[in-house]
Amino acid sequence: MMAHASTLSPPGAFGFVRPVRPRRLPARGPVALMEAKPDQAALWNAAVVAVAQARDRAAFQRLFDHFAPRVKGYLMRLGAGNAIAEELAQEAMLAVWRKAVLFDPAKASASTWIFTIARNLRIDAIRKERRPELDPNDPCLMPAAERRADESMDWAQAEVRLHAALSQLPREQSRIIELSFLAEKPHSLIASELGLPLGTVKSRIRLAMARLRQALGDGS
Amino acid sequence: MTIRHHPGDELLLSYASGAANEAVSLLVASHLALCASCRAAVAGAEAAGGSLLARVPPVALGEDAYRAVLSRLDAPSARIVRQANLEGDVPAPLQPYIGVSFDAVPWRPMTAGLAHYPLVTKGGMRARLIRAMPGAAVATHTHRGEEWTLVLTGSYHDGIGRFAAGDVQSTTPDIKHAPTAEPGPVCINLAVTDAPLVFDGLIPKIAGWVFGF
Repeated sequence: MMAHASTLSPPGAFGFVRPVRPRRLPARGPVALMEAKPDQAALWNAAVVAVAQARDRAAFQRLFDHFAPRVKGYLMRLGAGNAIAEELAQEAMLAVWRKAVLFDPAKASASTWIFTIARNLRIDAIRKERRPELDPNDPCLMPAAERRADESMDWAQAEVRLHAALSQLPREQSRIIELSFLAEKPHSLIASELGLPLGTVKSRIRLAMARLRQALGDGS
Repeated sequence: MTIRHHPGDELLLSYASGAANEAVSLLVASHLALCASCRAAVAGAEAAGGSLLARVPPVALGEDAYRAVLSRLDAPSARIVRQANLEGDVPAPLQPYIGVSFDAVPWRPMTAGLAHYPLVTKGGMRARLIRAMPGAAVATHTHRGEEWTLVLTGSYHDGIGRFAAGDVQSTTPDIKHAPTAEPGPVCINLAVTDAPLVFDGLIPKIAGWVFGF
């Protein structure tokens, strides 16, 4: 099991090589979530829109200064070395500039959109895999039978509810969500590292996802 | 289209986080094209990713990073176009693999009424299309690992349930089934396995080996 764990999580990445003693993630909670308060999120959204509509370089520089180091941190957290993380962070910001016209603040916030760019670049460059992707604006998507949360909702409001829901998740649930994003490994391995039965991990995922769905107004 | 069977939160979360491999991602993305409710769940999970991005400890870039990017802003780049084709019933995420029509797929015949076409093989993970004419049945089998099947057209039943367009069936090693296509449109499925299937009987075993199941 140790050998298996080490291959999935490069040494020095984030310390999840030891099954029984995972390193704690940084302190989190309502204070840490100030980053995502709605007016700040709206400013980032506006900056991407300014890049899209006016090729606004000042807005791009603000986005770069804020997001590039975070994208790099995210990539390194997932085990990328400094050089490749640096290169991909630059590529991600270049993609922000080039794809800004595709950004739709009604569908996702700027930080979520930039996260998906970084995630996909990483899969492409580091895992050398294609990323089958869905364009949420694709007109051939099967529409919902009734009005659902993801069509024409006020995303700014939903994002506020979502961040509130995330910050209120019980620690045991938010931990598993974080590990899913920040340590690329199967849930079975996450379970064994946390010393939990796989069924417990799965039920925590279901509970957490139910909260997120509810925050988005889906099924509530 | 009423979808009764969904991929489940675990798969949706793996897709949103980027942990899912290409074969699983292909299945989830194709399901999302057909299912607004799972699209909403993935949007929620991706927003969790955005929130984590905001909280991950930042790592400073090199001094020249911004200038390096700035110098590339005006370089010509591939035009951003929407690639999805509106015609036909191939979900957009599958189109880069097979084009826009199931008829144009170079199907490889297997046993009576069944044909397949491999899409992704990497590690132990495989994604393939399986086409079953009405009434055609896949030999009874169990699984060494997990199997996910997304119905793209038509429908099948396997004694456990009925699965129609948009539905995803997840099977675990303890499940033994023999899916049979129902009368009506041809049943085309996207099947993802993380280990070979285990067939009952010698002939299906040999056929399974020959066709790479």
